[in-house]
Amino acid sequence: MPKLIVDAHRLAGPVPFDDLPVDPRPDLDRLGIARALVTHTLSLYSDAEAGNDALFALGDPRLVPVPVVVPGVPGACAPATPDAVRAWGVRMVRLCPERHRFDLTGPVALRWLAALGAGAAPGPAVAVDLDETSTAQLRTLAERLPGLRILVLNPGYRRLRALAELMAEAPGVRVETGTVNTQGGVEWLAERFGAERLVFGTGAPVADDCGPRFLLDHLGLTPRETDLIAAGSLERLLGGRP
Amino acid sequence: MILDAHGHVGTWPDFLIPDPTAGGLVAAMDRIGVTAMGISHLLAVGPDAGRGNRLALEIAERHPGRFGVWQVYNPHHRTPLSLDGVWGVKLHPDVHQCRLDDPRYDPVWELGLPVLSHGQTDSPWSDPEQFATVAARHPDVPILMGHTGLWPSGFARAARLVAGHPNVFLEVCGSKSTGRWIARLASLAGAERVVFGSDACFLDLRIGYGRVALAPLAPADRALIQGGNLARILGPRLP
Repeated sequence: MPKLIVDAHRLAGPVPFDDLPVDPRPDLDRLGIARALVTHTLSLYSDAEAGNDALFALGDPRLVPVPVVVPGVPGACAPATPDAVRAWGVRMVRLCPERHRFDLTGPVALRWLAALGAGAAPGPAVAVDLDETSTAQLRTLAERLPGLRILVLNPGYRRLRALAELMAEAPGVRVETGTVNTQGGVEWLAERFGAERLVFGTGAPVADDCGPRFLLDHLGLTPRETDLIAAGSLERLLGGRP
Repeated sequence: MILDAHGHVGTWPDFLIPDPTAGGLVAAMDRIGVTAMGISHLLAVGPDAGRGNRLALEIAERHPGRFGVWQVYNPHHRTPLSLDGVWGVKLHPDVHQCRLDDPRYDPVWELGLPVLSHGQTDSPWSDPEQFATVAARHPDVPILMGHTGLWPSGFARAARLVAGHPNVFLEVCGSKSTGRWIARLASLAGAERVVFGSDACFLDLRIGYGRVALAPLAPADRALIQGGNLARILGPRLP
């Protein structure tokens, strides 16, 4: 059993295609998960800014906000400027290039992301669902902004070869474990890239939390490695305990 | 007793399986307490059912009591089938591009053994509606609907379509399944109609079983889903 478990990928709010819990806390309690990094569903399925407002209104330290950023020219972005993102003071933001139809490695997004890391304090890490981009795009992003800390959400189990190439070429990339769901896949990545590159996260309640949570208790890794995946790697990624 | 209704050994062309071995499966089964798993060899699901079935039987012999064999029937190759020493027959209408309700599967139904078939909502080959069709034609053959149709958007429909066919069971493995959906299926269809499967080594056994172990289920329902139902279906075929 890991000492501390933090889910790096959780949703709060309603979804249009199912009847799922809008409040993640009862499931976190049931599964022994101390905290979760949370994005509001309104940001994904309605309006990014409305979702971010709802997210900040949750006001529970167990639910660490991961607001959605939409880089763009004035009038096409959310929030209005990179400075507004920095003013949030969050340690991770989420980008949805496919859903919000922007170019993750285009000049505008690169300028925004560079600006987020340009202040005296470290900028936020960025989380991107692999279904919203490609390993090639993420590799380009990491090459163009080598200081950027990237968490790949929902990597799945069918793209291990491409994911391994990305992790080999881009040391700032970390990977969420919840959907690495082929036999021994998490151990395979840990042996090659280190447990400090792997982060427990689920994507619940749309994706499953029970299986990935059970896996944490039964990994064929050392207790130290399991603790890293359960919470320690995320803490390092964010520059402190979430 | 935990019984896994849906397992595989071997490699698959679409992606890397880090540990495709029977030894790796046994180690994982021991780690989490799975008594036995029904397997088909992925070579048999693919191009060579005859050789793949022989490999699966050899694996079962090497690990007594740990593996049952779902012998794959390829309708194009008219794979020879055995009545003895197996759990039943595995069909994969999508890989073989032959609809589940196609008469070319008649030799399988005539055998009368339990059948585990891939099921996939909206697939022209294995939509849950076809399970209802073949279940009505062969009411004495236990039929496990693999993945309960695979996509969460079709789970409730799959349960509804086979509600009147008590010989059809909903097998729950799949990368999009959730513990919440397994509990919902138990409510929709009755826990006695829901069967645990993992799809390991294709998928990770621990994640598959974890969905059942941590799903919001009553203990009696969990016991049925994780082994009781399959033991009842297999009867004396289970060692």
